[in-house]
Amino acid sequence: MILYLLKRLGVFVASVAVAGVLVFAFMAVLPGDPAEVALGVNATPEAVAALRAEFGTDRPAAAQFADWFGGLVTGDFGTSYVTSAPIGPQIAERLNVTVALVLGGMVIALLIAVPAGTFAAVHHRNPLGAAISAFSQVGIAVPAFLAGILLVFVFAVKAQALPSGGYVPFADDPAEWLRSLLLPWLSLGLVQGAVLTRYVRSAVLDVMREDYLRTARAKGRGRMGALWRHGLRNASVPVVTVLGLQLATLLIGAVVVERVFVIPGLGDLLLNGVAGRDLLLVQGVVMVLVAAVLLINFLVDVAYAALDPRLRGAR
Amino acid sequence: MLSVEGLTVAADGVELVHDVSFTIAPGERVGLIGESGSGKSLTALSLMGLLPEGVTATGAARLHDRDLVGVPEKRLKDLRGSELAMVFQEPMTALNPLMRVGAQVAEVMTLHGVPRDRARARAAELLGRVRLPHPEQVARAYPHQLSGGQRQRVMLAIALANGPDLLICDEPTTALDVTVQKQMLDLIAEVAPALLFITHDLAVVASVCERVLVMYGGRVVESGPIREVFTRPRHRYTEGLLAASKLTPRGTRLPTIAGSVPAAGTFPGGCVFRNRCPHADTTCEQAPALTGEGHAHACWHPADRG
Amino acid sequence: MRGRLNASLVTGGVLVGIVVLAALVSFVWTPHDPTLVDAAGKLREPGDGYLLGADKFGRDTFSQLMVGARTTLYVGIVAVGIAAAIGVPLGVIAGMTPLGWLSELIMRVNDLVFAFPALLLAVMLGAVYGAGTLTAMIAIGVATVPAFARVARAATLQVMVTDYILAARAAGRRRAAVAFRHVLPNISSVLIVQASVSFAIAILAEAALSFLGFGTRPPTPSWGRMLQESQELLFSTPRLALWPGLAIALAVLGFNLLGDGLRDYLDPKLRRIRAER
Repeated sequence: MILYLLKRLGVFVASVAVAGVLVFAFMAVLPGDPAEVALGVNATPEAVAALRAEFGTDRPAAAQFADWFGGLVTGDFGTSYVTSAPIGPQIAERLNVTVALVLGGMVIALLIAVPAGTFAAVHHRNPLGAAISAFSQVGIAVPAFLAGILLVFVFAVKAQALPSGGYVPFADDPAEWLRSLLLPWLSLGLVQGAVLTRYVRSAVLDVMREDYLRTARAKGRGRMGALWRHGLRNASVPVVTVLGLQLATLLIGAVVVERVFVIPGLGDLLLNGVAGRDLLLVQGVVMVLVAAVLLINFLVDVAYAALDPRLRGAR
Repeated sequence: MLSVEGLTVAADGVELVHDVSFTIAPGERVGLIGESGSGKSLTALSLMGLLPEGVTATGAARLHDRDLVGVPEKRLKDLRGSELAMVFQEPMTALNPLMRVGAQVAEVMTLHGVPRDRARARAAELLGRVRLPHPEQVARAYPHQLSGGQRQRVMLAIALANGPDLLICDEPTTALDVTVQKQMLDLIAEVAPALLFITHDLAVVASVCERVLVMYGGRVVESGPIREVFTRPRHRYTEGLLAASKLTPRGTRLPTIAGSVPAAGTFPGGCVFRNRCPHADTTCEQAPALTGEGHAHACWHPADRG
Repeated sequence: MRGRLNASLVTGGVLVGIVVLAALVSFVWTPHDPTLVDAAGKLREPGDGYLLGADKFGRDTFSQLMVGARTTLYVGIVAVGIAAAIGVPLGVIAGMTPLGWLSELIMRVNDLVFAFPALLLAVMLGAVYGAGTLTAMIAIGVATVPAFARVARAATLQVMVTDYILAARAAGRRRAAVAFRHVLPNISSVLIVQASVSFAIAILAEAALSFLGFGTRPPTPSWGRMLQESQELLFSTPRLALWPGLAIALAVLGFNLLGDGLRDYLDPKLRRIRAER
């Protein structure tokens, strides 16, 4: 078990490092020297050279990378060439918003998918179960930002019950914070819930056919009792995999949903960075998002080991 | 103790088991023999109330004075695992892979009212009783850490936990190595209170049971004491079955059974065996009844009249 | 063995057929020029030759939807093509030599690429080369490579242990010959299903990118950008959001259903390998 986790941890750390190289290399091919861009066309070569030295972009790429990546470990994302503001604090501030958005969406997705998927599996032979399957199929076809627009139309435009966008920090007003995040959560959660419902349904269906459920019933458990006591944990093993993928999808989906609801999260920061040609900022945000996806994969592996004793002895 | 009367199992209007009747006395060990598709497993599952979705049983089956067929699940599940227990064919998949073995044995006791700590202690005892070495250690193991034979012993321990009156075994040794089979059979014969033993293997049934029911096409075609049925088979199917096995009576070689078992629902009317039977004639278009005291058979042209 | 037509296959086929038909017809005919700005016809109500009305620039919504279908299919075909062209060979190689270092390397790189979702790649590409249909297609294609590679690998692993492959290998056939003559034909149905599901995801990704301004550039019509342009008018003219939204959802539903239907129709024996989303 320890060995398995150490190996997974190793893979995670190595992946983050390689991803860092990729992100850095990718942004390094960006045409245009940041110093020239910052000073404009009329700058003297001496001024450009001086600024280059200040940015550190006159050094070899390897040194620049080591500097940047080394800084990441301590939370130092460098200083923007465009706005001269340190990038780390901006990312930290925005990350809070995005994480709240993603986790809330995930909770809603789970609250929908686990009961609905289980119900659809248990009643897979009757119309209600089939209806849930059909409904989830439709939900999968709706992108989160479209769901967001629909929700805005219903709850903000028609019912005028919730704000159509904007964000109120929790510290300012918890109630307004909740109201400002409710529709974004729903737009992420409803769509992901639909996707997840299908996976929960098929996982529960698979488990229902397992011999050990029959054994449980032979012991004297009822159909639902056996499923509850022996089925759900087994069904959760494949669902956790999907959950990891979903979480990654949600993180990226949040980028778009932030745009719909004008929420100042990481996605908003990223898009602003691209618009302002703020290379180092984009690089930092992309790195954080990629590292987050890799971290989720790692956590899924850990969850596996916790759930399934067969993995604990493995590798 | 167990009496089954006119048990019929059907799915989507197709009868898979037809009008099966038999009894098992306390302490008696009865074999139920037949090829796959003969309905022997469905017969057992319908006694347990564990038929797959969409498959239903009618008729009557009674354990002591309690009905087993046509009763709501709620009442059946109190019997399962306490008075009536079952060991299945496939030990590799029959245990929950995410739960320790001891807990799975203890579960069947707590379900039927044994206090938790008492059940836990009993679980280790039971694992010892089914001759698992180091029962304390086994109790802490997960199923994947045990061999197939060991897992089947665990299943047997679960079945015996609440001291059932009847143990049903469905091909309990088929999935096991030959060397392990014998030990397992001896163990079952030793610990079973009363036994309904399902198998396709004639040698196995001969070594464990006293009485045998031969099933074909969802019907009991012959029944009686093992010795009699195996040395003087009456039904032509039993005769062919014995001929095909190594237990050929008196060393004679009889022709093996022609053709193969038809798919469910495609058995001929009348005698279900007549399309494969060398002795079939027009009489066989009428279904023969299971007749005879002690050694009974359902055949118009029984073998070995003398 | 081929199955019977099923409801998913038929429904999916019809929906996809409508999108394809709209795209094809748009090459030769649209009710109006979808890019023609007409100040007089600004926010024209539906009717009078404008079946679904017009947007804030007076462009005919119906014509835009038709040409948008073309954009959608174009992006989908190229993206899925890229993903399959790279992912399938990698997956087959990894599946045929499951214990080799090459296989290990392929799957590791695969996992790494998986951490770069289409949207991030598109934003990065867009930042460097300028956003457009091409960067969107490449980004979506590259991000979909791991799905193809994983599914191709899983299917190859299964096919490799079948008797006819073992026989071919025992007969001393070269690996490449085995791959082309035996493995590929036998995993093709799984790959077709994956292509259909990936197509649906590509449509979603393209819509999201266009919505963010990282996809198809104006004036070329695109469903995602139509949605984005409609957002500010949601209070006054919600129909502008309704139609492109519906188009996206129905196209995605169509390709997903088609994938499900094809899985049941084509090949029951590899059904346990699910298409990756």
